Amino acid sequence: MGGFDFSNHNRNVALHAQGVPLPKATSTGTTIVGCLFDGGVVIAADTRATSGPIVADKNCEKLHYIAPQIWCAGAGTAADTEFTTAIISSNLELHALSTGRKPRVVTCMTMLKQHLFRYQGHVGAYLVVAGVDPTGSHLFTVHAHGSTDKLPYVTLGSGSLAAMSVFETQWKTKMSREDAMKLCSDAIQAGIWNDLGSGSNVDVAVITEEKTTLYRNHITPNVRVPKQRNYRFKPGTTAVLNEKIITRQEINKYVTVHELKDDNAAATVETMDVDQ
Amino acid sequence: MSLRFVPPKAHPSQTSLETSAPSAPGVHDSLRSRLAQTSAPATISSSSKSVELQSAHPLEARLVQWRETQDRMKMEMLRREFGIAEPIRRGMELKIAAAGEWRPAVLGGASGVHKAILEGRDTEIGWEDVFVGNELREVPDFHSEMEARMKMNW
Repeated sequence: MGGFDFSNHNRNVALHAQGVPLPKATSTGTTIVGCLFDGGVVIAADTRATSGPIVADKNCEKLHYIAPQIWCAGAGTAADTEFTTAIISSNLELHALSTGRKPRVVTCMTMLKQHLFRYQGHVGAYLVVAGVDPTGSHLFTVHAHGSTDKLPYVTLGSGSLAAMSVFETQWKTKMSREDAMKLCSDAIQAGIWNDLGSGSNVDVAVITEEKTTLYRNHITPNVRVPKQRNYRFKPGTTAVLNEKIITRQEINKYVTVHELKDDNAAATVETMDVDQ
Repeated sequence: MSLRFVPPKAHPSQTSLETSAPSAPGVHDSLRSRLAQTSAPATISSSSKSVELQSAHPLEARLVQWRETQDRMKMEMLRREFGIAEPIRRGMELKIAAAGEWRPAVLGGASGVHKAILEGRDTEIGWEDVFVGNELREVPDFHSEMEARMKMNW
């Protein structure tokens, strides 16, 4: 029996019955948005990965490749979004090779919803699917239980309310590419500043009929500033009590000494990471 | 035969009424004795069979029976449209393809490409294809496998 392994479930139920508390559910935090414009579609995401109250990664990538013209933004369990998009990408490529046509966004959306419906929400992937195919540009959301939406602008994740407020006040039909990018970036920044689960930078992907352009770290509003003070001491701060000089000729009697050159890359030891 | 595309729940979804108290089976219970006349006994459908599960997790029964349920629904639809000959023909084709496709287990076993094409799954890849779940299983060597195939392991 392949696939998912349930062999620990009965043990966990027995442990729970004996009074061992259930592991705490971790809430996930993300802001992802998508927006259609005249001639294509934009998706954007923040770059903070959290595990409970801890920021696990300050610059993670939430925009996933599915096909050259179909991209996905993922919220929810990071591993689930990563693997679900990867397997659907493989399936879609096999399908495209079999039919000899460019994959359609609806095909991708249907594959995703059928896959997620099978797992009844246990695969926690909440996705924004965007892409351009011969039938036009499309934007969908897929939830973990398999429900889908088709809207001109969408937001997902814990910062979706903050992001949606930007769309609801500023969205217009038939926007230009620059306006759509600006609107999506503003929506993500609303999530970054107003939602604790979202933060760091803004990633944007613009998909048009010709090509997909991924703007990794399109806006970086949270650059780490250099520390104002440090613990480095000037040479000579500590008094030298005694000094003994051992020459190379002397130590050559016991060990072999090789001269390390600074420009010799192979011999260079790893430099220590210090605060600048 | 039904057209269900989602496997049924692993736990029983209905109980049959008894004419005696559950705590004392067989003993006459005046309050229940007439139930047998008003309610039909629950029939167990022949299409649902129990599957071996590792756990009581509700998802597991669903996943184990998923492909089988899909195939059964497809065959049932073919039967309704073309008659019983169509699912039988496909079943026979599958059996012939399975018999003709063999590769020693020490070399990784058969890929099942003919079966996948006949089932219409040749453009699909799933977790089950990647995580096959027999990484720790002892693979029989070629000679004992061949002896078992040729029924020479007397």
